Amino acid sequence: MSRRVAQLQQRVSELEDEIAELRRHHLRLAELADVVQELLIPMAGRDEARIAEAIEKFQKSL
Amino acid sequence: MASRTASRWAAIRGRITAALRGTRVISVDEAGIELVASGDDRVIDVLFDDRRIWSFWLRRDTDLLSNGHRLAPWPDRMQRFLDGHTRLVVREHVATTAHFDREVTFGSGDRRIAFVNKRGLEISLDKSGRFSPTFSVRSEEQLVPLLDAMEVVTTMLHDLGIEAFPAYGTLLGAVREGTFLGHDSDADLGYVSSYSTPAEMIRESFELQRQITERGFATHRYSGGAFRIDVTEADGSSRGLDLFGGFFDSGRLYLLGEVGVPFEHDWIHPLGTCTLMGRAFPAPARPDLLLEAMYGPRWRVPDPAYRFETPQPVIDRFNAWFRGTTVWRRDWEREFALTGGRRPGRGASGLARRLAAETEAGTQVLDVGAGRARDALWLAGRGFPTTAYDYAPRGARGAMRLATAEGLPLESRTLNLTEWRSMLAETARLTRIDGPRAMLARHLVDATNRVGRDAFLRFARVALRGGGRLYADVWTGEGEPGFGLHPFDPDRLAELVESHGGSVLSLERLAPSDKRARGLGRVVASWS
Repeated sequence: MSRRVAQLQQRVSELEDEIAELRRHHLRLAELADVVQELLIPMAGRDEARIAEAIEKFQKSL
Repeated sequence: MASRTASRWAAIRGRITAALRGTRVISVDEAGIELVASGDDRVIDVLFDDRRIWSFWLRRDTDLLSNGHRLAPWPDRMQRFLDGHTRLVVREHVATTAHFDREVTFGSGDRRIAFVNKRGLEISLDKSGRFSPTFSVRSEEQLVPLLDAMEVVTTMLHDLGIEAFPAYGTLLGAVREGTFLGHDSDADLGYVSSYSTPAEMIRESFELQRQITERGFATHRYSGGAFRIDVTEADGSSRGLDLFGGFFDSGRLYLLGEVGVPFEHDWIHPLGTCTLMGRAFPAPARPDLLLEAMYGPRWRVPDPAYRFETPQPVIDRFNAWFRGTTVWRRDWEREFALTGGRRPGRGASGLARRLAAETEAGTQVLDVGAGRARDALWLAGRGFPTTAYDYAPRGARGAMRLATAEGLPLESRTLNLTEWRSMLAETARLTRIDGPRAMLARHLVDATNRVGRDAFLRFARVALRGGGRLYADVWTGEGEPGFGLHPFDPDRLAELVESHGGSVLSLERLAPSDKRARGLGRVVASWS
């Protein structure tokens, strides 16, 4: 019985770690979406002045 | 003489009342306040020359001594002020009954003990245990700019579709007392987003910060869901307005950084009003219920030593959802707050000397994790146009002043390796600038975490792809530890370089010696 409890404790601990890993994706997903919208999309336009302005504006707001 | 008599009488009165209540102060010395505690745990105020400087909980914040008495040790940050004379009063916060009221001398100083900051403003310990000017010593006139700023920011957020309201201590002050809490030192705003996932709320918060920056305010991000807006006041001091985001998820309200409770939408929206110093501000529809979620059911009873008891599952959620982009930054900011303005020494590290010896004149040097920028300043002095990168750029202020005065090619830029947006934006900027480069990373890899190391190597890979070299030192764990350093195996650094497409040109281990306080692993690498 105690072996079973130990196994379940181990499994709960692993699940907690996995949940934390999944939760951490929110912040990085938001970061990437922000970079795509604010930097990558202006870059796709190939307008040099707009690209420089987008980078400067983005960095200023960090 | 009259005042001495009065003070003696006050002391006697204090002793009588205290004896009746059972709580009394036994002694006050350099170690702290030794007392006998009786009754419920409650807040005790400590006054120096009639001004409240510190509050503590009778039981929670005191240590039990072997004689059954309790010791309230002076907070570390108070220690440096404790030299001189003062009239020390220890009293009940709510009842203002004095347990101790006497002239006391600390150390060998012969002046009155004064708790003032560099600007001469009177300071006291706030609820976070930091010294800051308290609202209670500030005149109404001095608070007008903060009220104005709160109004400007809430109106601006309203225009951006965000309904913000005073939160935490500011909401508590408004609802309970109609004004700022005397022991508080900042103003908090909160809002509840219409989004229902952390990722969406974080993006909204990024966008808000951009809008606020564009309107000319300096900002400082704490996490994916909260940032500070700096407001310069009439006396020149800067006061922070913290903006905390929140969202509903399946009947629970999460509001950074302490609330995660079952909550109804209509307890927040539509917003009502509250009053701060006669001015109306938006408020949650049921501020009493939000205050209970923030401070517990006893929120109506004043408690300047309040500590949040946020449940661990809520802390875990906030940590994983929103935090991890300012790893150890506050420690470095504190370190640099004291020393960042000083001129760095004129010398250079062995690592910087090696870079200079092996690098062609005129090559641009990127010093990543430059700290006080001593190496960066030295390299700029040898004709290398140098960029000092750090996530706490105030460390380089002294070096920048010198470089400007002497016309040296040194610039200081913010780079936060634990925030992808910061690293990616700087990478994008660099790819648009041509020319040979070299990179210095002295005690960077051993001062950040896995996320920071990974971002650093991706940054190096792009910045050095023209064939430039990376010069990196890590602390091996031998000899004296340096501030903020964690032992790092140089072989692991070599593996990291290679896993990011680089070639290790050399790897040395330098043992501690008379001239070298700590053991170093030195890696030189390049990318083709």
